Amino acid sequence: MSSTLVAGAPAIGAEPAARAPTDWRTDAMRGRIRRRYAAERRFRLLGLAAVTLSCGFLLVLLASMLSSGLGGFQRTDVRLSIDFPALNLPVTRGQLRGSGADLALAGAGLQGAVGRAAVQAFGEGGDRYIADRAWLTVRDAVLADPGLLTRRTAIDVPASSGIDAAARGAGRADDEAVVARLEGLRLLSTAINWDFFTRADATDPGAVGIWGALKGSLLTMAVTLLVAFPVGVLSAIYLEEYAGRNRWTDLIEVSINNLAAVPSIIFGLLGLAVFLNTLHLPRSAPLVGGLTLALMIMPVIVIAGRNAIKAVPPSIRDAAFGIGASRIQVVFHHVLPLALPGILTGTIIGMARALGETAPLLMIGMRAFIASPPGGLADPATVLPVQIFLWSDEVSRGFVEKTSAAIIVLLAFLLAMNAAAIYLRNKFETRW
Amino acid sequence: MTFAQPKMTARDVSVFYGPKQAVKSVTIDVPTDEVTAFIGPSGCGKSTFLRTLNRMNDTIPAARVEGQIALDGEDIYSAGMDVVQLRARVGMVFQKPNPFPKSIFENVAYGPRIHGLARHKSDLEAIVQRSLKRAGLWDEVKDRLSDSGTALSGGQQQRLCIARAIAVDPEVILMDEPCSALDPIATARIEELIAELRGNYAIVIVTHNMQQAARVSQRTAFFHLGQLVEYDATDTIFTAPKEARTKDYITGRYG
Repeated sequence: MSSTLVAGAPAIGAEPAARAPTDWRTDAMRGRIRRRYAAERRFRLLGLAAVTLSCGFLLVLLASMLSSGLGGFQRTDVRLSIDFPALNLPVTRGQLRGSGADLALAGAGLQGAVGRAAVQAFGEGGDRYIADRAWLTVRDAVLADPGLLTRRTAIDVPASSGIDAAARGAGRADDEAVVARLEGLRLLSTAINWDFFTRADATDPGAVGIWGALKGSLLTMAVTLLVAFPVGVLSAIYLEEYAGRNRWTDLIEVSINNLAAVPSIIFGLLGLAVFLNTLHLPRSAPLVGGLTLALMIMPVIVIAGRNAIKAVPPSIRDAAFGIGASRIQVVFHHVLPLALPGILTGTIIGMARALGETAPLLMIGMRAFIASPPGGLADPATVLPVQIFLWSDEVSRGFVEKTSAAIIVLLAFLLAMNAAAIYLRNKFETRW
Repeated sequence: MTFAQPKMTARDVSVFYGPKQAVKSVTIDVPTDEVTAFIGPSGCGKSTFLRTLNRMNDTIPAARVEGQIALDGEDIYSAGMDVVQLRARVGMVFQKPNPFPKSIFENVAYGPRIHGLARHKSDLEAIVQRSLKRAGLWDEVKDRLSDSGTALSGGQQQRLCIARAIAVDPEVILMDEPCSALDPIATARIEELIAELRGNYAIVIVTHNMQQAARVSQRTAFFHLGQLVEYDATDTIFTAPKEARTKDYITGRYG
């Protein structure tokens, strides 16, 4: 009986041949062992090559982003000599105290005066060397020290985008000549462009900022997380713990799996149809963007959540049921804490995808030119990837660096978000 | 076999998993204050039947139970029976030690807490201490109650599970092969513990190990192919079984 169970055993009744000792030293044996080791070495090398290749790509990406983007966080300043007494601004010292001071300076024609000072300092056309908003820097300097108005002084003001580009070696020939002349006079310097972190989109690449898009992304992500996480997790719990297995739940499962693979622009159309055309929510708002992205990542969270819940050992459920816990107690006291790390992993993947998403947001109008940061969820806004898309489309040379700078901000945001999620996940990670 | 004052009674109980019948018309009485052992070869339905006694089969969607099971004369499958309370009254210890991945204290305190058995923290602490002492684990863990229950050895984990079961003060304790994942020394500890617990609880133990059944139980039921073949005093079953199948199993002909 037992001999028939052995594969390749001789026919029933035949005596098995006497077993000869295996000779491990034949050439065939040695060759086989050599080939096995060679196969292992080949596989290790291939793996190493693959890892090196992907790390290389990552390094090239980071290096190119940093090399072209870091300049976007800097600006070129021109040292502008201003003879305030000669400009003869009609403003009294009394007006410079209190809250109306900036208005008083604007009303006194400071903007024109700064332009005249530039012409005086740099000659004909000198007002084109400084940025349109250079007078704001002068204004702030005067507000900080009203005594400046009584003397001749020199202030570093932002250069115009043309001069800025030329100073980085990417400007027009006539601007390059100006830069050479100014550099000869030691009037140019570089400074960190703090305005980039506080302003929103603008037509002048020197005046743009990322804060508008960053705040738009923050608000949108907040809406996405607040909607997608609870709804996704509750759906996963319901489907895993409560819903029976029948034709309907099978249908729902298939639908969710398919939804996770639907191209994101379709969700944009859905958002357009439901949130804008039917519910009449405000166009271009983080609220609508967040809801649309929530629809997009919910299937990801549901699938990850179901898998995480499924992976909780049945023995834990048995233990809790066996002691008289109700189903909701089993779920919230035992299953969910153990499934949370897996659920969070799915949420990280979903949120990272939502953060980088452009297409669905274009459909609901988040690609508009928005020149001020959004004040709330219903204000027009844009988000980082859309801002990058918009800037990359601009013709002006100055936007190239700004695009890379925005990409750096987006990547930093992504890393910060993932780090937070991974921290949370590790905090909840428990073994059983 | 019936008693004057049975703790649990089963009448014509059949269990189906979908179309497959796992337990066939079992009628049995479980005595108060004694240990009843269910023995039989693998797949004979003894564990399935055990799980009907506290309705743990409810958690398996495909399982269906027919017949009548009563605890103190009260039908546990009737609409009026609350399954949450039933499982507090009929506790269970599983084959594989399954402590919660929480502290030792929390493992034992969980049941009393969800059933509201302790009014104050001091009550809860007293219940935990009493339960761990009864389970013979107190001396080993009293200095590390906040350590994870999963960090204990297998035998300690199983005693922790027994402490967790008795913390809610059950009337019946069901044990589903509680020693099959343990080494002989840990097994001996559990068997001692069962002997100590006897008299306070009606204990039903499913076991593969006939020596274990002979050592710990006063009543033994032999299951085969979903049927209850023979149920009698343990001594009788192991010395003078009436049924040929029981005799064959005990003497090692099959199983």
